[in-house]
Amino acid sequence: MISISQLQFAYSDGPFSLQIPHLVVEDRESVVIAGPSGSGKTTLLNLIAGILPAASGSLKIDSTDITSLSDAERRLFRLRHLGLVFQDFQLLEYLDVLDNVLLPCRIHPQVMLTRDLRERAKSLLDAVGLEGFARRPIGRLSQGERQRVALCRALLLSPRVVLADEPTGNLDPGNSVRMVELLMSESQRAGAILMMVTHDHSLLPRFNRVIPFELFLKRSPVAAPGGTEE
Amino acid sequence: MRHAFFLATRSLWWNRGRSLTIVLSMAITIGLPVTVHMALRQFQQEISARASTTPLILGARGSRIDLALHALYFESAAPATITMADAKQLTDSSLGTAIPLHIRFRTQAQPGVNGVPIVGTSTEYFEFRNLVTAEGELPTLLGDCVVGSECASRLGLKVGDRLLSAPRNALNLAGDYPLQMNVTGILESSHSPDDSVVFTDVQTAWVIEGIGHGHQEVNAQTDPALLLSNDSKNQMTANMGVLPWLEINDENRDSFHFHGDSSAFPLTAILAVPASEKARVQILGRYSDSQTRVQCIKPPDVIAELLTMVFRVEQLVRVCSIAAAVVTILLLGLVLSLSLKLRAAEMQTMFRLGCSRLTIVLLQLAEICLLLLTATGTAFIAGTATVVFAADAIRRLLF
Repeated sequence: MISISQLQFAYSDGPFSLQIPHLVVEDRESVVIAGPSGSGKTTLLNLIAGILPAASGSLKIDSTDITSLSDAERRLFRLRHLGLVFQDFQLLEYLDVLDNVLLPCRIHPQVMLTRDLRERAKSLLDAVGLEGFARRPIGRLSQGERQRVALCRALLLSPRVVLADEPTGNLDPGNSVRMVELLMSESQRAGAILMMVTHDHSLLPRFNRVIPFELFLKRSPVAAPGGTEE
Repeated sequence: MRHAFFLATRSLWWNRGRSLTIVLSMAITIGLPVTVHMALRQFQQEISARASTTPLILGARGSRIDLALHALYFESAAPATITMADAKQLTDSSLGTAIPLHIRFRTQAQPGVNGVPIVGTSTEYFEFRNLVTAEGELPTLLGDCVVGSECASRLGLKVGDRLLSAPRNALNLAGDYPLQMNVTGILESSHSPDDSVVFTDVQTAWVIEGIGHGHQEVNAQTDPALLLSNDSKNQMTANMGVLPWLEINDENRDSFHFHGDSSAFPLTAILAVPASEKARVQILGRYSDSQTRVQCIKPPDVIAELLTMVFRVEQLVRVCSIAAAVVTILLLGLVLSLSLKLRAAEMQTMFRLGCSRLTIVLLQLAEICLLLLTATGTAFIAGTATVVFAADAIRRLLF
């Protein structure tokens, strides 16, 4: 479960600030964060991931308060418990498909790259329709295929939370739908929470819940809304 | 760390053009002084070993270094000559063995192959240097020669072949003519300058020089037109129409003869092998007077002087290398910093995935470490290969 309370954040070099009085996402829930550009959707994902440190308030994933962790602890927590899918995928060009999926193991100080993990990586690739792509260079993949590799990388270590930042931003409508279905099914199979940011309103009905980010903008810093049930 | 090296290897291979440039730059910076140092050490060992096994050298007064290099390596320009009388004098004094050396001619150049020195000497030279034949036998007759192993392979010679000497001046009709020698043997390799020359008897060398010759028989019966005069004492003077033999074979060997006093025939150096330590001191004393025409040198001392000069050159190379290294390090620093900037997005990905600061630093260190190791390995392999496979080329370069 993700539990946010009185969370405040501001960039040091700009006027933007974000205040979230209250937000709860239950286990296995799939939620989508919708809102205008610049409203702070990505900032919220970064705060949950511990990439950005909150100025004040509480942000808990299960029993761990992210705001109380040091930078090193946040990195380790992120690596161990969160799976991130970025808008531009952020795959490494010099690694092939399988090695990109296995990357979290190679940078994790406590996880050994075992035969089981290799098998898991391959089965994830099979599950997303990339069987036979394991040794293919990233440069020879289409956008949709890269997106699926990024998803496999996010799911490799069975994270508690999958955070996807506009993963369909570069895809055509057909591939966007397939990508979202894949994200949801794989997250459910892994028993993970799925939080996704998108501008594409046609995708919203597929999620358990939509969090309209405008609410935070209108009511903050006084109001303290939760999400709105769809 | 294993994963850091794995990722660094993949990254370097992906950017192999850039990696190769960096490795080569570093390898040259590291390798140049190392190779020069190794080559000079090898050169020092070789030249010192040959000098230390050569007790004394006699030669015309002049540059001691030139004389030592000429008698040991056959490569420097021929110094002024001494005579066979000087060798005979040493032998007659019973102070030691005199091994004559006459090195004034080379074989004729072939397309793509330069001529090699022709060393006129005596059979004692082969015993002194422990030279034995791999094929055939040592020269026994006038006009025979034996070739060093490397020379044989370079010129494609085998036993029974003919080898032509090169005249020093093709326009001097009254001077030396090319002589065709018979290859009677190929020497076993001795990994020394003896591998790169042709050995013949000193008398054959004199024939090449034109001091001895053979020609068609000349008398009133054979061809009166070849005679300039024929006095009452039957002293005949032939004209220029008499043809000298350009090769020595069984049919004409007996017709070869020398004009003049054999004790005055030229030598370019004499290897003096003293009979004892006392004899060595006596020989040195005999030629210590600076007014004498002949000088006696101790090769190890002369070569030590030469090496002192050579190692001054090495110091110069070292200073230049340090300057080059500073420039290269600055350039590499620039390249690496630009490389890190180019990889900033990748490092940001690592951070966003949760990679620790230490791991990110290790990833970059692993890459630099691999580049350095590869460059150092390349430099040492290139240096060693240069010394092992290019020893002869280095020797030729240095002389």
